[in-house]
Amino acid sequence: MENKTMIRLVVGTEAIFFLCLIMAFVYMAYHAGFEPHQRSSLDIRTTGAYTVLLLGSSLTLMLAERGYRKGSPRGLKGWLLTTLVLGGLFLFGQGREYLRLIHKNITLSGSVFGTSFFTLTGFHGLHVLIGLIVLGIILLLAFLGDYDRPKKGGGALGTAAVYWHFVDIVWIVVFIVVYLLPKI
Amino acid sequence: MNRPFSFQAERISRLFHSFNVAAAAMLGLVILLVVYISIRYRRRGNDSGEGAQVTGNNLLEALMIGLPAILLAGFFFASLAAQRAIAPPIGPDLKPDVIITGHQWWWEADYPQAKVITANEVHLPVGRRLLMEMRSADVIHDWWVPELGNKTDLVPGTSNYLWLTINKPGLYIGACSEFCGAQHAWMRIKVVGENEKAFNGWLAANARTALPPADSLAVRGAALFQAKTCASCHRIGGTPAVAKVGPDLTHVGSRNYLLTGMLSTSEANLMAWISHPQQIKPGAWMPDFILSRDSVKAIAHYLESLK
Amino acid sequence: MAKSIKIPDPIAPFPGLGASTNQGLLQWISAVDHKLIGIMYLMLSLVFLLAGGVIALLMRVQLALPVNHFLSPETYNQFFTMHGTTMIFFMAMPAVFGFSVYFVPLMIGANDMAFPRLNAFGFWLTFFGGLLLYFSFLAGGAPDAGWFNYAPLNGKNYSIGPGIDYYAMGLLVSGIGSVVTSVNLIVTILHYRVKGMALNKLPLFVWMVLVNSFLLLAAFPSLNAALAMLLLDRQLNAHFFNTANGGSALLWQHLFWIFGHPEVYILILPPFGILSEVFQVYSRKAIFGYPFVAASSVAIALLAFGVWAHHMFAAGLGNTVNDFFSASSMLIGIPTGVKVFNWLATMYGGKIRFTTSMLFAIAFLVEFTIGGLSGIAFSIVPIDWQLTDTYYVVAHIHYVFIGGTIFGLLSGLFYWFPKMTGRLTDERLGKWFFWLFVIGFNATFLVQHVLGMKGMPRRVYTYPDLPGYGLLNFISTAGAFLMGISVLLLLYVIRTGARRGRPAGTDPWDGYTLEWATGSPPKGKNFEDLPVVSGRRAFWDMKQREKNKNTQYGE
Repeated sequence: MENKTMIRLVVGTEAIFFLCLIMAFVYMAYHAGFEPHQRSSLDIRTTGAYTVLLLGSSLTLMLAERGYRKGSPRGLKGWLLTTLVLGGLFLFGQGREYLRLIHKNITLSGSVFGTSFFTLTGFHGLHVLIGLIVLGIILLLAFLGDYDRPKKGGGALGTAAVYWHFVDIVWIVVFIVVYLLPKI
Repeated sequence: MNRPFSFQAERISRLFHSFNVAAAAMLGLVILLVVYISIRYRRRGNDSGEGAQVTGNNLLEALMIGLPAILLAGFFFASLAAQRAIAPPIGPDLKPDVIITGHQWWWEADYPQAKVITANEVHLPVGRRLLMEMRSADVIHDWWVPELGNKTDLVPGTSNYLWLTINKPGLYIGACSEFCGAQHAWMRIKVVGENEKAFNGWLAANARTALPPADSLAVRGAALFQAKTCASCHRIGGTPAVAKVGPDLTHVGSRNYLLTGMLSTSEANLMAWISHPQQIKPGAWMPDFILSRDSVKAIAHYLESLK
Repeated sequence: MAKSIKIPDPIAPFPGLGASTNQGLLQWISAVDHKLIGIMYLMLSLVFLLAGGVIALLMRVQLALPVNHFLSPETYNQFFTMHGTTMIFFMAMPAVFGFSVYFVPLMIGANDMAFPRLNAFGFWLTFFGGLLLYFSFLAGGAPDAGWFNYAPLNGKNYSIGPGIDYYAMGLLVSGIGSVVTSVNLIVTILHYRVKGMALNKLPLFVWMVLVNSFLLLAAFPSLNAALAMLLLDRQLNAHFFNTANGGSALLWQHLFWIFGHPEVYILILPPFGILSEVFQVYSRKAIFGYPFVAASSVAIALLAFGVWAHHMFAAGLGNTVNDFFSASSMLIGIPTGVKVFNWLATMYGGKIRFTTSMLFAIAFLVEFTIGGLSGIAFSIVPIDWQLTDTYYVVAHIHYVFIGGTIFGLLSGLFYWFPKMTGRLTDERLGKWFFWLFVIGFNATFLVQHVLGMKGMPRRVYTYPDLPGYGLLNFISTAGAFLMGISVLLLLYVIRTGARRGRPAGTDPWDGYTLEWATGSPPKGKNFEDLPVVSGRRAFWDMKQREKNKNTQYGE
């Protein structure tokens, strides 16, 4: 119970952190104006595919939680592993996108667009990475037998799950603002 | 507050006076209650009993909320009216009478119609509504002359506007009010309010290019000014020196003060400044060029002659 | 007879180093007990009070005379930046947290915070954040762009030294600590109240801490985001605030004040809570208008996020934007006024005991009203256009921060000192301190209103010899030194009180709330068991029942 309240508060304060970064992105877009060719070099299709993977990871994490609740450690471990793989793939995709943009000379220090883009997506990527580390630790504990019997409230897994779903929701908003909105 | 000498300052002053009356009444009420209750309800002797347990009264609460709300609503509407009188909207076709640009740590004043550029001592005509455009060349500064009313930030990358109607000729002093770095304290303002005739005379005098050097020392100084690095930052109208990084020096000798009021204009003070700028105004962008004493004297003599 | 509830042990088992066993420094470093951490917060606050105070006195020496050369402009600019940053983030914040983590568990009948080790983590982040900030002096210069650190002056182009990097790192680290502690406080209050203590029976101090922690969670992310962007700008050449490369100077102001104005309320709400307790106990009356005092804090917390641009009235946002923020800033004066009048009504009809603590509370009513009213001046846009960024603002913030926050904290210090140490302070010396401090404070800052109106801008390292400037500044400096002397006296009062003060017993003030139901200072474990709470004055009810029982059996 306390853990759930705690993580909800953390998620709430983090949400405002991202709100500030997103507002800064929008502010920079309007105030300074992004260079149009830079913005159009974003790869919507590929990133969209990786977005689907990340959203899928939320689903697999829910399945892992269900396995845990139903007292099925195998289901828990299997789905948790899938979640980690999907999250890892998303980060891989983000890394590829970064490299591609850097090759096109779009960098953090190169332009206002680069500054805004890399800061916003970078902070999100950092949160994905933290989530992966936490879920990785839980997976390790699961293999060590800590999660063989279900606990009330889901224990650390339930807490981490709230965070992971939050990170996914943030990405939906970031993806819409950064990739989709200017095209509308 | 200082006595107001512009339409804008008068509006603010009137509002401030009525605010002060209301605030004093409020403060007086609180002090009165504090003193009265403290004396009337102090514990007497060794009384260890409880006070009368009255824990609420909705009418009283409504008064606590309602009365200040009414008072504040009054000030809100007074504020709206004054705000619009002081800062009416700027139409797209309005041209500023003067453009003020803040620099670390001096003011550039540009009169676009008359093509006059000067620094730090801003001459303005009296009795006419002026539109001033405020810009910054580096960090945020803030234009404030208390006797002339409202202040305005000078924000890099954008222009702000200030309306000003000076009522009476006179010398008005002000200062930069937004912290802007090492010498924020010595970024002071002098506004010379003049009647139309005197102002136009001043404008005409300043529209002329700089006087040619009159004696041999000044000739040497002028040559040194161009040859040494002075000209890469300062402008002297009518000479090859056209840079606008530092203050315009075309008529520097006609200004009463140097360095926004730190020193009065004289050959000796100019010499002191050119030889040891960092001792006089530490942090200023003017470097110490380690010129010989003779060279400094020549340059100072030349600059002082630029009336 | 009311049934007793057994109070559960803290989640983390005691590490074998309780509050009662003295094991020197190790006891403190390894502490997870909320009382030890609370004391450490208060000590930290005191250390930074002295640091920030010495800096302030050096500044006042420089300003005592016109065109003075005691401090160079570079040094002065670093000093005023460090003074503001220190006092807000490392003096006031730790003091607020110190009282919060010490007394919230006690007042709600819990044995510790919800997450004791997280509590220690929060403290050490604040500690090391402060250390990082001060390390800048050794690393080549302190930050020099003011505590609100406006862009683009905070960029590499205009502040070349590492000071602002230390500012950003120090505030980020301590800011995360503050967020962590606030989460902890909320969870503690929501989950660890003794049975029967519904939210409408919560002591008002706990109410204020609860509202305040939510406020902090909503405000700090904005600062953290701004600091992260600033670090990216300075370290990796990003362009958020770099106006030369398309960045925006006003973005920083928006982000900073979305944090900064709620921060002002974050620093005043817990002292409001302290005062709400102090007025009750020393007037021998339950609070007047409990729901209004509690609800006005919620109103303040909500409005706090709609007032930030009143710091930017002169920045050229336009009349429409100014109108909105003018209205919201005026509105926020109303719930604040409601509190002042409810406290007066609490005193009305009471039997007032003038202890040092109560003197600070009563003085608060006047001093804070002055600060509140001068604050209203800034919500009236045209008046703000004259007075913003002058010494009038300097006077205003000090009347709010000292006359409000510090007076409230000092009131709390004298009120709770016997609980924290088991000993009473010397009341006679305490009152000496009170009068010296009040006179010094008003001498320092009252005249600054006049200086501001006369035209003296804030943050100037010197000023020309204009009529009146020299005299008023000299009075201000003299007042500052009087305050400095009084703080030395405070240190003496604390030291002698803690060492040789009269033993206080568990309940020296005939208190109303549960912290007085346990030993002074409380043992490692606060409570074994407590009765079910049925009223707002839980401990008072306990004592009444005890009394009734005795008379019953006596007759």
